Amino acid sequence: MAITKLDADSFERNVIEGRGKCLIVFSRQNCHVCAEVVPMLEELAPELASECAFYYVDVEEQASLYKTYPLKGVPSLMFFKDGDYQGKLAGPVTEEQVREKIAAIG
Amino acid sequence: MDNLYDIIIIGGGAAGMAAGVYGGRSRLKTLIIEKGAVGGAAYSTREIANYPGFHAHVSGPALMADFRAHAEKFGVEFTRGEVRELSLEGDPKTIRLKKGPEYQAKSVVLALGTEPRLLGVPGEKEFRGMGVSYCATCDAENFTDCVVAVVGNGDAALEEAVYIAKFAAKVIVIVIHDEGIVDCNKVSAEIAFQHPRLEFVWNSSLAEIKGDEDVSSIVVKNLKTGALTETAVDGVFMYVGLLPMTGVVRDLVETDKNGYIITGDKMETSVSGVYAAGDCRQKYLRQVVTAAADGAVAAHAAGHYIEEFEEYKTMVAGSDQILLAFWSPMNEFSINAIAKAEQISAEYPGKIKLVKIDLYRKQMLARKYNVQTPGTFILLKRETACGTLSTDCYNTLESTLRAWMTR
Repeated sequence: MAITKLDADSFERNVIEGRGKCLIVFSRQNCHVCAEVVPMLEELAPELASECAFYYVDVEEQASLYKTYPLKGVPSLMFFKDGDYQGKLAGPVTEEQVREKIAAIG
Repeated sequence: MDNLYDIIIIGGGAAGMAAGVYGGRSRLKTLIIEKGAVGGAAYSTREIANYPGFHAHVSGPALMADFRAHAEKFGVEFTRGEVRELSLEGDPKTIRLKKGPEYQAKSVVLALGTEPRLLGVPGEKEFRGMGVSYCATCDAENFTDCVVAVVGNGDAALEEAVYIAKFAAKVIVIVIHDEGIVDCNKVSAEIAFQHPRLEFVWNSSLAEIKGDEDVSSIVVKNLKTGALTETAVDGVFMYVGLLPMTGVVRDLVETDKNGYIITGDKMETSVSGVYAAGDCRQKYLRQVVTAAADGAVAAHAAGHYIEEFEEYKTMVAGSDQILLAFWSPMNEFSINAIAKAEQISAEYPGKIKLVKIDLYRKQMLARKYNVQTPGTFILLKRETACGTLSTDCYNTLESTLRAWMTR
């Protein structure tokens, strides 16, 4: 996995207390849309590594963390900057949408 | 060449992997290209209840993992990638991915699958993933104790409505037909009708999905009265049919008006050496078992095509003029005609190479030169047909062949 996998503790440390931009993809095993979106993010992560950190949360393993946020489905991407929520993308998200969203966060 | 395969299968669902099993088992160098989840539509199916032999509970992902292991056992390779462009005419055929290498194949099996049809109502796109979902397996849990609408009334709609009701407080099923009429199988429909948390709204369609950041309500239109009713919901699951993911081949192979690929009974498409299998094909029943059957037929036919094509290449390689003689063991005239043609040909040694083609077994050249009847002769000069003879008269046969031999 080219994207760092988070649990509740590392989510707190890396996202909430983190500096700079990051995105977290919430995904689950048996979701076919996730199976397209997650590898796309894995490919994109090294290229944008200096600008944005990429994280991954398995919603079955981290059910309580998932429920903390009002997400309606997988895959969902949440964006943060300096620990502040910056918005989300969901469903069959494309590479272009992710690039635009990261660029749009000042 | 490392990137040249006998068969390249585009799509790693049930059809593609079954084609892989048959291709690999025939010792053909076979590659499956999949853009997302290996397992296709079955991958997000919780239970496969009617794949023969698997009468104990089997999940879609588990069955698909077995399909994959089976294909890999026979040496089939898998790669991740999305096809950008195909060139299917001629030989070899070329497949370009959005990212990554270019592949070449002697034959191609299109097992492209389907995707959910969008209804196209306001709010549907905006709220996708924010309350609008096409996959109960993925998202139902997020609606625990919520009110959810399901749009549609086929197998998927009612089976998924019952699944969603395991979590949701209430599931409103919006059905376009009169009361009691659904397009779902009887067993699942009965379960749905008797479910205490399912509520059916008949003669109705979804007009709009509303919300702020997430879905908060839907507007339902009564088709008899035209009345619009707004109802508060937390989510909407859409099961209003499927569309074939055939965009990338739409201008390359023949499709019907809905985009499904048209094939013959050997899964052959309108392009020589290109086959289609599974849900993306125009067919009557889209199930794992029919997808697997399509895949088997497609790979088998592709194997025959490759064999014939190689034979053809060897045959035309060293000869200037060739006489193709099409016959069938079931057609007596054609058997005698071939014998006659061999006699005549022997009288003109080295002039024209006679090649006998059993129409019952071999189809490639018959298709290429549009031959339907046994007893047809085609004279090829450097691969171009310059004479065609289809007769049931021995005298005409003899005079024409002698004219060709002395030309």
